[in-house]
Amino acid sequence: MAYPYTHEREVRVLSRGFGEPATRTLEGWKTLGGYEGLTKALEVGRESVIEEVKASGLRGRGGAGFPTGVKWSFMPQEKRGPHYLLCNADESEPGTFKDRELMRWTPHQVIEGCLIAAYAIQAEHVYIYCRGEFFETNQVVARAVEEAYEAGLAGEDILGSGVSIDVTVHQGAGAYICGEETALMESLEGRRGLPRVKPPFPAAIGAFGKPSTINNVETLCAVPHIIAHGGEWYRQWGTEKSPGTKLFCVSGHVRRRGNFELPMGFPLEDLLYDVCGGFEEGRTLKAVIPGGSSVPFLDADDCAGCTLDYEGVIEKGSMLGCASVMVMDDRTNIVKQVRRTVDFFAHESCGQCTPCREGTTWLSRILLRIEKGKGTEEDLDTLVDLGKQMTGTTICVLSDSAAAPVISSIEKFRDDYLALIRRGEAVGAG
Amino acid sequence: MGENGQKQDIVTLTIDGREVTVPKGTTILQAAEAVGNRIPHYCYHPGLSAPAQCRLCLVEVEGAPKLAPSCITDVQDGQVVHTESASAKGMRQGVLEFYLANHPLDCPICDQSGECKLQDYVFEEGRKHGRSREPKRVFGRDDFGGDVLFYGDRCVMCTRCVRFMDEMAQDPRLTVVERGNRSIIDTFFEEGVEGAPYAGNIVDICPVGALVSKDFLHKARAWDLDHTPSVCPNCSQGCNIDLQTRDNLVQRLKPRPNLDVNQYWMCDYGRHRYEWMNRGDRIEAPLQRGAGGHEATDWPGVLEPIFTRMADGAAPVRALASPFASNEALAALVYLVQGLGGGEIVFRSPRADEEIPLPGFPKLTRRRDLVPNRRGAELLGLSRVGEEDGTGGLEELKDHSGTLIVLGDDLTDLESDFGAHASLYLYLGSHFPPAAAEADVVMPITTHAEEEGTFTNYEGRVQRFWPALQGPGAARPAWLPLSLLAAHLNGTTPPSGADEAFVRAGELAPEFQGLTYESIGTRGALVNEPVTLPGGKLRS
Amino acid sequence: MSETKKGPERASVPFRNPGWAGNTGEFDLSEAEVRGDEYVGSRPADGGHPSRAPSYPFMLEDKTPDAPLFEGPYRERYEKILSRYPDMRGALLPVLNLAQELRGHISQETMREVGALLGLSDAYVRGVTTFYTMYNKRPVGRFLIQVCTNVSCNLCGADDVLEAFLENTGTELGETSSDGLFTVMEVECLAACGFPTAVQINSRYYESIGAGDVPGLLEHLRDEGGD
Repeated sequence: MAYPYTHEREVRVLSRGFGEPATRTLEGWKTLGGYEGLTKALEVGRESVIEEVKASGLRGRGGAGFPTGVKWSFMPQEKRGPHYLLCNADESEPGTFKDRELMRWTPHQVIEGCLIAAYAIQAEHVYIYCRGEFFETNQVVARAVEEAYEAGLAGEDILGSGVSIDVTVHQGAGAYICGEETALMESLEGRRGLPRVKPPFPAAIGAFGKPSTINNVETLCAVPHIIAHGGEWYRQWGTEKSPGTKLFCVSGHVRRRGNFELPMGFPLEDLLYDVCGGFEEGRTLKAVIPGGSSVPFLDADDCAGCTLDYEGVIEKGSMLGCASVMVMDDRTNIVKQVRRTVDFFAHESCGQCTPCREGTTWLSRILLRIEKGKGTEEDLDTLVDLGKQMTGTTICVLSDSAAAPVISSIEKFRDDYLALIRRGEAVGAG
Repeated sequence: MGENGQKQDIVTLTIDGREVTVPKGTTILQAAEAVGNRIPHYCYHPGLSAPAQCRLCLVEVEGAPKLAPSCITDVQDGQVVHTESASAKGMRQGVLEFYLANHPLDCPICDQSGECKLQDYVFEEGRKHGRSREPKRVFGRDDFGGDVLFYGDRCVMCTRCVRFMDEMAQDPRLTVVERGNRSIIDTFFEEGVEGAPYAGNIVDICPVGALVSKDFLHKARAWDLDHTPSVCPNCSQGCNIDLQTRDNLVQRLKPRPNLDVNQYWMCDYGRHRYEWMNRGDRIEAPLQRGAGGHEATDWPGVLEPIFTRMADGAAPVRALASPFASNEALAALVYLVQGLGGGEIVFRSPRADEEIPLPGFPKLTRRRDLVPNRRGAELLGLSRVGEEDGTGGLEELKDHSGTLIVLGDDLTDLESDFGAHASLYLYLGSHFPPAAAEADVVMPITTHAEEEGTFTNYEGRVQRFWPALQGPGAARPAWLPLSLLAAHLNGTTPPSGADEAFVRAGELAPEFQGLTYESIGTRGALVNEPVTLPGGKLRS
Repeated sequence: MSETKKGPERASVPFRNPGWAGNTGEFDLSEAEVRGDEYVGSRPADGGHPSRAPSYPFMLEDKTPDAPLFEGPYRERYEKILSRYPDMRGALLPVLNLAQELRGHISQETMREVGALLGLSDAYVRGVTTFYTMYNKRPVGRFLIQVCTNVSCNLCGADDVLEAFLENTGTELGETSSDGLFTVMEVECLAACGFPTAVQINSRYYESIGAGDVPGLLEHLRDEGGD
């Protein structure tokens, strides 16, 4: 069965179980080679595990792209107290829907990755911080955790190795900012989800004041495969600096939306026209956001020759982020979409830092005025200025994320703005 | 750390072209302040944690990719910091613009005007014209209970108040509700901060006019106020205060920082007890009792007759003093009583049932002794009598037939026949109570707000206070007439000033020896503790 | 419930449980298979294994605003939650979730009670509760309808879907309908961007919803009482 769309150019490593209800179960996961990674990890020892992940070049799939093996090696070698592994399943970036699929189709993949990572960093407790809205998905993961406990794969003395790792499925309560690593820790501790100042870094002082590592769901899902088959094996896909496969979440005005697992460095145009079937009859490409709402726009010119790896997208002036490709065709009202995006950030800002707290709402109000035809050309300069004042001045990067689409859309789609300002005409309907 | 300091314990860096050497662990903000460079900030406060969230203190550090929050960034050896560079100033201007986006133009009706950190910073470095054309968010005015009013629109969300209640008062009644631009400070619905004994401090630390005192609301403009360093007289903790006055009336009390006594805080009990310093109906001239009652005269007019009476013999002498009197006044009284042949000096002193500590700094406690100088009185040999509420204890004094001297006690629990049997009854006070009706001489004295002097607090710290008000009429500090009388008796010269009067106290109580006004300064000094004077000389 | 659906256009699919991902009519998976209902099974009242205790809370149709905190099986779940965190404060969010499952919303009184249970001040609990979107500060209808209008769904007609919900329930945005059945809200990205427009009703996701699906969906909720 094909769920919901697959394409022959996909490389289904993490997404192999998608569409197969049986994969959820422990038995089903094992038929796909499940828990071989964990077994091997326990055999080769934690230092080898970290070396293997380093060798694979796996980079964090939550948006930052930080090398995972290196992140794990920041944890203290000498254990002086509890260590924690936090699985960031608080998927809230607009345009992103890969973690939810991983959690509800292959929950054991997530759990196995968490256990291997926890073992590597000497953590005795794993918190899977799940997004609050994911009620049903969380139950799938929770049931899988229960199965793992029942089979001796989690809890005391895993597989007779003497290693004990507890897993807790923690449900959030609706805040995008809690996907930020330090805000997630604050939220886990029962506080308002306010990002912390770094330093100190989580590997020194993390959840509950103890050394912690936080990884995205997709990152952790890659780990069992890397351990089972080796870091070199993982490098057969992707590029030198961005190895492996990635789940690309494609949404918007393409014919086939969904998750597509492709090698890193896959050409963007191939993704749009080949894998996703291109646009509706008579429609052309106007803009693409390659990495979720937080990154700058790419216009049609930028898309030409753009490869979907971390370096390739940076070359074109944007960022890969979590690879949520939001596609907009020529009927799109860019100003409206930018306003909606900034509304989102204004709504989700935690309110600690002044540039973000005041700036996101201010930007959103100016954009609304422009959208309603009451803007001025001076407003465009103000928007860019405010955007610059919001970049690089705050504790976390939500502020930068709110400014990025504004600055890039004014640069690339200035005519759309001017049409509204000068003639009150919206370019595009939706 | 030895006298020269170990190399790794000190750090040298450059701030705006000037070299600064500070101990390791100092933040850039503190290091800059040490050389007189005040980096603007809101959320940082030396007595509280530093969340680095206002983003106003960001400075440029050479070699760092982003601007660094100077309130939490430790200094590094060889660091080069620019606080006035184009990027730092531009960033500050940007952040200030964001503050002004929603801040109401309340200056004409806002109490904080004139002592407002937003006004000051914007005036210095803000944009000349606002760019926002959007409507501002409105929260309105919220009564937080007790003495605190909250104007939500003016709030800059520095969260100093929340952190004070959390960390110092350890009574987390304030919180931030909602998030983003809808976030604002609030209490648990109608609960408020009523009853929190240190809540007044949140008004002090609020950098803008969001938290204001109801007592001070629209009372006086900040720039009209005179400031005088003083000591709170309402209990024996001796919090260092700033007595703020206008039109010769005390308008409010604010704490003055002293890390050994009260850090940056004071309690509400003390803070709100200043009206008595403004009481009118003062004794304005020395009064001589004659056939038709008390007649006003001048100082020589009352002192000369007493000189004569004393020469005739005055024993036995009994005296009643007040623990609100300064060390100088009490010492002068002791000298006088000694010169008259000696006698017991007692005082009454109200005491509360409990003390009220500030949990985050328990050394600051509203003490049970609700008077400033009980310790000083006891060091000088006086004895406490009477009940816990400060009344009674005067059975023997009432019918005393020798010389009776009352200093400062306002005798509220006594009848007008008090002292009727005394051969010589001297009353020194600031108000004329019924029980002074039989006094032969009534001498007007200044309150502690009107004179220079010292108190000794609960732990034996001698602290100076300065005159903030002009005393009425011919009122003088109590030590002056008392020392004149004593000097006349003993044939010595009276002290020429309060400082000399204090040094003389050292001859009565060894604990005061070695302390001088110079060595006490504005920080106070513990009795019996060797004091280092400027120049490094030690006095034992 | 495990019928396969193939081929026919969306509008004509009989509305047993409409709008789940997979109801685009182009491939064969049943709703139960996509949601994983069979795998999850029925929820044991005492919460099951402690590892899942902090994730357990659901948004129920039936709410008891004056239920005690906590008795019976809820008490067991509460104890299990406490056992998973090193301190009481860490359990705050799951306990608030649990209280909301029981009572339907977090009132002043609920904040106070939860604070007392965990040794946290009232004001602190209020601060945390108001920070997170999912805690209802006021009672909501039997069905809390949350429509995603963020960019990915917005590009595919989310505004029309929201309009359709408001019209067909006869309420204002954020308000509860007069029959107490529906509260309609606009929410941020639900992470179902591949299947626009995504709508969350109580604990269930309904994906690939178009404006035309709305009347039928509401009818179905009214008739079957949801779930």
